Formats: sequence, structure tokens, C-alpha cells
Amino acid sequence: MTTECAFEGNVIDAVTTGSWTESLRGHVGSCEDCAAAAEVGPWLSRFAGLDEREHILPDPTVLWLKAKLLRTSSAVERAALPITRLQIAAYLIIAAGWAAMLTWKSAALQAWVNHFSPGHMILGVTGPEASASLSISVIVAIFALASATVGVAMHTILAEE
Amino acid sequence: MDEPAFEAFYRKTAGGIWSYIYRMTGDAAMADDLLQKTFFRFIRSSPGITDEDHLRRYVYKTATNLVFDHFRETKRERTSEIDWMPSEVRPDRGDLRHDIARVFSDLKPQERALLWLAHVEGNSHEEIAEAIGVKSKSIKVMLFRARKRLGEMLTKKGLAPEVTR
Repeated sequence: MTTECAFEGNVIDAVTTGSWTESLRGHVGSCEDCAAAAEVGPWLSRFAGLDEREHILPDPTVLWLKAKLLRTSSAVERAALPITRLQIAAYLIIAAGWAAMLTWKSAALQAWVNHFSPGHMILGVTGPEASASLSISVIVAIFALASATVGVAMHTILAEE
Repeated sequence: MDEPAFEAFYRKTAGGIWSYIYRMTGDAAMADDLLQKTFFRFIRSSPGITDEDHLRRYVYKTATNLVFDHFRETKRERTSEIDWMPSEVRPDRGDLRHDIARVFSDLKPQERALLWLAHVEGNSHEEIAEAIGVKSKSIKVMLFRARKRLGEMLTKKGLAPEVTR
């Protein structure tokens, strides 16, 4: 049998209140579920009645407001999700751009950086390095990447604020 | 549900739910936290139920899920006795409350839920099944086993159940 005994609720009530009837006592003698309930019931009643320290429950008004705020903030998070994804994509594209630039133009960039070293500036080294310069297209590309990096970073900071 | 209706419902049910969570976890702060989460979920989901009894069952189900999640997350299905017990019933106090709390803490979370819902909340098997997320037909056997286990534990610890029959 998997169905609840029809008297189980009455037995639990009788255990709690102590109001037993003869028929209920008789039933407990013949029903093992109700017998088990009657056996541990008084103990559980005592356990439930243990004096818990006086507990102050959270104020329902505060809970209501908090829940509404949480609901609003999660709605904002949901709305901001596409923007966050776009930002991540922008960061990835910019990083890839910088990586490509540094890989393809590493020699020219290295020569250009060396151009500003003290050796070049003070001693006036002559040779191929002395005339190192960056092509207009590289300068434009660096400027574009730097602008994009600053732009995306500013957008992230302002969006968070 | 609007705010006044929520407030009225909360005042009726929150005390019982707090006690339930507290007896399940043995931690008053955790009970506060899970009680708030329970009602946050309740407000957020705005269940389209008008019957108060159904709403109450819905909240108990949410609370039970949160308590079970808590046990799963902390992997503390069988919490240590001292951790479990509220400070006012720890062994050094040496009173009956300590023994009672200790025995209850030795039960599995699902057994605690079954026994509390059946005996303290007076729920039917169907209501218990809904709260703990099992088939209604399984409750009879599960509850019988939980009662037997509790009876055995009480006998073992010299706190044999009183036979009222």
C-alpha cells in the first residue's frame, strides 16, 4: 500500500493535543504507520516547542523593496548583456589588431624605437637605422588602434559608472 | 500580488517557515538568509495563485529547495554536531534540548524535512511530496522509515519515545 492512512492526520493531532479517542487508540494498534507516528510524535512535538531564542523576522516592507530592487537590477543586467558582449568583442578585435601590427611591422617599429635611443640622439649614429622612419600607413594604423583602445576603455568605465 | 497582500501573507507564514529552515539547518543566521531568499523568489516569480493554502505550499517548496541546495553547495549533508547546534543548546549547557537537537541533527536532511512537515506542519503526504519534490506514493514508505530511524536513534541515546497509546 502506498496511500496515506486516513487516520494518520488524526493520530498526529491526537499526539499533539493529547485528545485520544478509543477508536483511534484501537486503530494505532493495528496500523504500523500510525503506530510509528504515535511513537515519535510526542518527541517531535516537544522538539518543535523548544524555546527558540526570540527571533525578529525581517520586515516585510524591506523584503518587498529589496525584491523589487533585485528585480530591477536583474532587468538592467539582462538589458546590458548585449552591450557587454559587444565590449568583449571589441577588446578581442583591438587585441588582435595590436598583435598583428606588432608581428608584421616589428622590424620597422624596433628600428623606429631605436631611433630615439641615447646612442642615436647623442652620438648621431649613421647608417640604415639612422634614417629609420615609419610609413604613413603604419602611423595611421597605430593611431587608429590607440584611439579604439582608449574609446572602448572609456566606454567600459562610463558604462560601469 | 501587491504589497499589502504580500505583507499579510508574510506575517502569517514567515514564522513557521523560519522555524522549519532553522530546524533543518540549525543555524539562525542561515535561516534568516534562506528565509529572505525564499520570499525574494516568491515575489520575483509572482505565482498566479490566489488560494492561500497553495501559496503556503509554494513557499514551503521553495524553502525546501533552497535548504537542499544549501546542503549540496556546502557538501555538509551530515553536518558536524557542534556546528549544527544553536549556541543555546550546545553540550556545555547540559540540558535535554542538547540531546533533542543532537538526535535531530543526526537525521538526513530529507528525513528532517519529512518529519517536520508531517508532524509539525501537519502536511498530508501529497503536500510533503510537493515540498520535497518526490512522488506522492513514495512518501508513505519514506516517512515510515524516517520515523523508525528516529525511534531507533532515540532509543539508542536513551531518549526512548513516549508511547501515548
